[in-house]
Amino acid sequence: MDRKDNQSPQGETARILVEFLEVAITSIVFLKGVYPSGAFERRRYMNLVVQRARHPQLRDYIHSAVFGLLPFIQKGMVERAAVIFFNTDGIPVERFVFKLAVNQSYGSKVEHADLEFSLRSFLIKLSVSESLTKVLPRDYRWEITAYFRSLPEASANKDVEQWIPTDTRQWEQPPLLTPIKSMSSEPLCVQLYIEHPSLSEPKP
Amino acid sequence: MSMESTRSANSAKRSFNNNSNSASSNSNSNPSNKKKKTSQKTLGVAWGSNSRSSSRSSFSNSPFSNFGSYMVEKNRKLQNQFEAEASTSSHGGLGSVKPIFDGVSIFVDGFTVPSSQELRGYMLKHGGRFENYFSRRRVTHIICSNLPDSKIKNLRSFSRGLPVVKPTWILESVSANKLLSWVPYQLDQLANNQPKLSAFFTLKRSSVSNGASTHAPCQVNPEAEDSSLKVGTSGDTYFSEVSKRFEHSKQISGESDDLVDENSNASLVEEPANSSGKPCEVAMAVPSNIDTEDESSVKNYLQSNHYQPSALVSGNCINNQNMKGSPSSTVSEPSNQSHSTLGDPNFVENYFKNSRLHFIGTWRNRYRKRFRTLSDGFNCTSSNIKASALKTAIMHVDMLSSGTILNYEISLLLYAIQTTGKELLKFHLQTTLLEIMVGIKAGMFVRDAKALCPHLVIFPYNFEAYEEVADQFYSVLHKHGNKVQAVSCDEAFLDVTDSEGDPQLLASKIRREIFETTGCTASAGIAGNMLMARLATRTAKPDGQCYIPPERVDDYLSQLPIKALPGIGYVLEEKLKKQNVRTCGQLRMISKDSLQKDFGLKTGEMLWNYSRGVDNRLVGLIQESKSVGAEVNWGVRFKDVKDAQNFLSNLCKEVSLRLQGCGVEGRTFTLKIKKRRKDAEEPTKYMGHGDCENLSHSTTVPVATDDVEVLQRITKQLFGSFHLDVKEIRGVGLQVSRLESTENSKQGLERNSLKSWLTSASARTEELCKNNYVAKESSNQGCEGEGDETLVQLCGNSVGLSIQMDSNTYNGAACLNEVSVPPPLCHLDMGVLKSLPPELFSELNEIYGGKLVDFVAKNKGKTENMNHTLRAYSHEKIEGAMKEGQAALLSSMVFQNEIPVENKAKQHIAKEVPAVSGAESFVPASGLMKTDLIPSSLSQVDTAVLQQLPEELKVDIFEHLPAHRMQVFSPNVLLYPTEIPLEALGTKTAENNSGSKDFVLDNNLWVGIPPQWVEKFKVSNCLILNILAEMYYKSGSTGNLSPILQCISSVSIHQLDAFQDGWDEAMYILCELLKQYIKLKIELDIEEIYVCFRLLRRFAMKSEFFIQVYNIVSPYLQALVGENYGGNLHMSLKD
Repeated sequence: MDRKDNQSPQGETARILVEFLEVAITSIVFLKGVYPSGAFERRRYMNLVVQRARHPQLRDYIHSAVFGLLPFIQKGMVERAAVIFFNTDGIPVERFVFKLAVNQSYGSKVEHADLEFSLRSFLIKLSVSESLTKVLPRDYRWEITAYFRSLPEASANKDVEQWIPTDTRQWEQPPLLTPIKSMSSEPLCVQLYIEHPSLSEPKP
Repeated sequence: MSMESTRSANSAKRSFNNNSNSASSNSNSNPSNKKKKTSQKTLGVAWGSNSRSSSRSSFSNSPFSNFGSYMVEKNRKLQNQFEAEASTSSHGGLGSVKPIFDGVSIFVDGFTVPSSQELRGYMLKHGGRFENYFSRRRVTHIICSNLPDSKIKNLRSFSRGLPVVKPTWILESVSANKLLSWVPYQLDQLANNQPKLSAFFTLKRSSVSNGASTHAPCQVNPEAEDSSLKVGTSGDTYFSEVSKRFEHSKQISGESDDLVDENSNASLVEEPANSSGKPCEVAMAVPSNIDTEDESSVKNYLQSNHYQPSALVSGNCINNQNMKGSPSSTVSEPSNQSHSTLGDPNFVENYFKNSRLHFIGTWRNRYRKRFRTLSDGFNCTSSNIKASALKTAIMHVDMLSSGTILNYEISLLLYAIQTTGKELLKFHLQTTLLEIMVGIKAGMFVRDAKALCPHLVIFPYNFEAYEEVADQFYSVLHKHGNKVQAVSCDEAFLDVTDSEGDPQLLASKIRREIFETTGCTASAGIAGNMLMARLATRTAKPDGQCYIPPERVDDYLSQLPIKALPGIGYVLEEKLKKQNVRTCGQLRMISKDSLQKDFGLKTGEMLWNYSRGVDNRLVGLIQESKSVGAEVNWGVRFKDVKDAQNFLSNLCKEVSLRLQGCGVEGRTFTLKIKKRRKDAEEPTKYMGHGDCENLSHSTTVPVATDDVEVLQRITKQLFGSFHLDVKEIRGVGLQVSRLESTENSKQGLERNSLKSWLTSASARTEELCKNNYVAKESSNQGCEGEGDETLVQLCGNSVGLSIQMDSNTYNGAACLNEVSVPPPLCHLDMGVLKSLPPELFSELNEIYGGKLVDFVAKNKGKTENMNHTLRAYSHEKIEGAMKEGQAALLSSMVFQNEIPVENKAKQHIAKEVPAVSGAESFVPASGLMKTDLIPSSLSQVDTAVLQQLPEELKVDIFEHLPAHRMQVFSPNVLLYPTEIPLEALGTKTAENNSGSKDFVLDNNLWVGIPPQWVEKFKVSNCLILNILAEMYYKSGSTGNLSPILQCISSVSIHQLDAFQDGWDEAMYILCELLKQYIKLKIELDIEEIYVCFRLLRRFAMKSEFFIQVYNIVSPYLQALVGENYGGNLHMSLKD
């Protein structure tokens, strides 16, 4: 059953997507300068120079978080995956949101090349979009959050345990969106945008 | 004055710096001179680094009046130095023996192995000269190992025509103790190291003329004919010549050896003389007439030629040679002129015209076309044959025994003239005969053959004749059995299992008939399977037949050399030989497993089977070709990129023709390039490709094509991706695979065009405000038990409002699943459909899976019904119908809720029928509805749908609800009973009756390629809309808005305001366009929308018009973004 899943277009897409997310999230963390640049090393992915975390804990966090999503993405349960930067009060300052949509009824073979080509453009765009982001306050934290369309059943899998329900503090006003990149290449549609608190958002 | 001095100082600086480098390198090995050099060097540095004025001052301080005189002095000193050293280090001047490098003066450029100093040492030792500075006058050879690109490109300005030679030349000359020719040592990088054809031709030409002038044609390189010998005769002269000769030969009738035809001699002698005198005229094209060339004249010519005595006087020799020349120039004009891609624009075409392999290769397609029906009919029965497992008899027929006119392995047809004997060679001359007499064998190069038989005449192929013969051949075969498998144009298998009588008798009958119809002999082999039949033919040859009964198979095979088995080539044979396997008998000793281990699964099994005479192939299994392509590996030499491109586009033409010939289109294109290996020498085969690396790139396009232009574009891209030096290319091939039959795709095309035609037609009728009842019908096959429920959606097209009518219990999913790849039925215009010719209609009907007929019928019914009702002014009825429609819609929405793709569904509905949902939503409000029509979950569903609806629409729905009720039966209806002015329901502004707006409301402005709005805008009378439409095409017709807006931003925005007419209208339409675009993209591509709106905002800063547009649309946008993303787009004014 599992084997079959991996061969289905959704499984295939999800695998590529998860791999991509890992790289993209690392890129975001690098972009925001969360850690000194020495914490990253240059690697090649999809024929692009990308950053990879050198610190095992950081790497593991991103890796395990993202790969924990794999079964859910495969089932199309994950609506969004976000990298959220908080200030000390736990109020988000900036959110990088990946809006995901995997066409569940897509049956034909996935064109790897097309998909990778589209995903590459995210990484390219990300590396030049620093100007769109905000300067973060001191002592901020960050985390990876995923928004599910519905809560997964508790017994589904071991992986589920890695993902715990959370209630991140939200803004009171609808945020301002700055789209960075969108792509739609069957069966996958990914959009990346940054959310910032609205101007009318009460300042903490 | 000051100007001049500036210039000279600058130039001095440049050249001096160059020189100082070599001077410094020179100084290293000459410690004695070091001091002097160093001082010079510093002087140079000072010049180079100092400013203009200081350099001038240093000039004035130096003992030289200018730089030129300084260099002269320096060179003189260096020479003296060299000479002094030479006199001490040379071999002590052995008086009589000239030193090796006498008269050679080298200049070493750049890094070499051995170093320039070592080379200098050699020159010193062996009497050569070594120049530190390049000078055209003194230097004779440039020595270097490597040249930068720039120098190679401008070789002439660099070398000034002097030879550029590798240092090994000097080393090897020294070791050989004589001056070797520098030619083989020319720098590899240099293009002129590759013998260019032009050079080749000129050389040969001169050698030919030499030959002619010395009256020794037999010494002429046999290749002369191949290359460029072109005696200035026209076709006419040739023929007159032939006839003369013929007459003459009749006269002499084979008895007088020494008779010399003075007449023809006289005329012929002067021609070679001409050619030697004016070589440029030799190259003149000879008007040729291949068609008029018939075999009899060739024969005559051969005969006459044959009577020429072998011991000819010199004049006759020329004559003889001339005659050789003239047929080759008249008959095969292309072969003379177009041996390479150089200098012949039609090389590709001519190449394939003259290629035997090409003829054989493409023959199959012709065959298949001609005998398609026959082989098809047979294919059906083949399975039966298999089942019946009778004792099979397969016949293999091969024409013309050992050497058919086509199967000469030798590259060209050969006719030899036996010069010593007196026999006349018949027209059907066999290679075997040639072999006996002069040793010309199959597979020989022409030049070797010519060396054996200098009077050999080579004829081009007469493909028409072959084709005719092949056709006749197959006609005979098909007459005797309908199970024919063509192997080649002269070779075929027949399954004669179920033919009556003895297969052997049949074989002889067939052979006789072939001989009678074609004049060619054929051999036949009969056996139990294809393999054995083929082997039997081998024994039968020439002109015989052989039957191998099953019981003799083992005996036959045991002594058979393995080479004879089909599928065993040189490599496999060598491998087997290593295992000491030479005959099939020996091969049989090896187990299948070990064979498969050694040679791979398939080959192993094949070997095992074949060695036992087992062959399970069935006669008649024609394999569909997997790819179509063309490859040219002979005569490919390019001078520059333009040559190559030209060649490629011709190749594409050829491939395209072949694709069309086979009736297929392909999706994957592979470009194969043969690139000369770095150290490859000029190939042994004349103009061949030699030792090459094979490179290939391929690409796949989404839509199959056989279009020349597409091919050319793709090929150019592919070619570009190789990044090759075109001069290195020795062969190019283009292959098209993933073939699709043209008929299928043509159908698709037709469908598309039909679609666009119908759609545009319906659009037209819309504008004409014709009554348009369009129904939409869809069925959900996926749902079991639901059956073929249909939804007929009637649209008052001119108002863009659709009323849904339920003919059955409606399944909501149906509508959703039908995402309408073919144009939805609702887009079809009834008027058009009715007026369609019956064939087209039935085809369309097929496309729609037979639903069209129902649709039309239903439609008719509805229309009539509608008309009737309207005419009767039966208000209630319409209301009832509408309610029915609403109910249908509502129920559909209930279903939708259960569908996982909920969002999509809603949006779809929202897109499809906002107006209707408007209608539907007023129902509960107005209280007109009847409870039994409405599902119980109505309110819930309804709100869900309502939420999906755009804000304004919701408002409008409620606002116009009463208005609608009043307007339903407005006077309009009375006047035009068939036109239901229900627009008020859906339109925002009831007062807007202007026709130009109607189409906007269809919600399909972005449907189609190009999107519908483009056409509308093009014909609009608003400038801004015209510009938009124009930009659509300019931006590359991507279907995205942002490139279009980007294009507009390049136009002056101020112009955009420069119109007054239809401002409001234009704005309304544009807003609608944008809204529809947002709706289309909001879910999947927010980035695109973002880009568009940032551009719009930029326009808004300059244009009043766009400010308004922006202000109208942006709340709508933000609302939608809010719904989909839970936020607002950040439209800061940063840029």
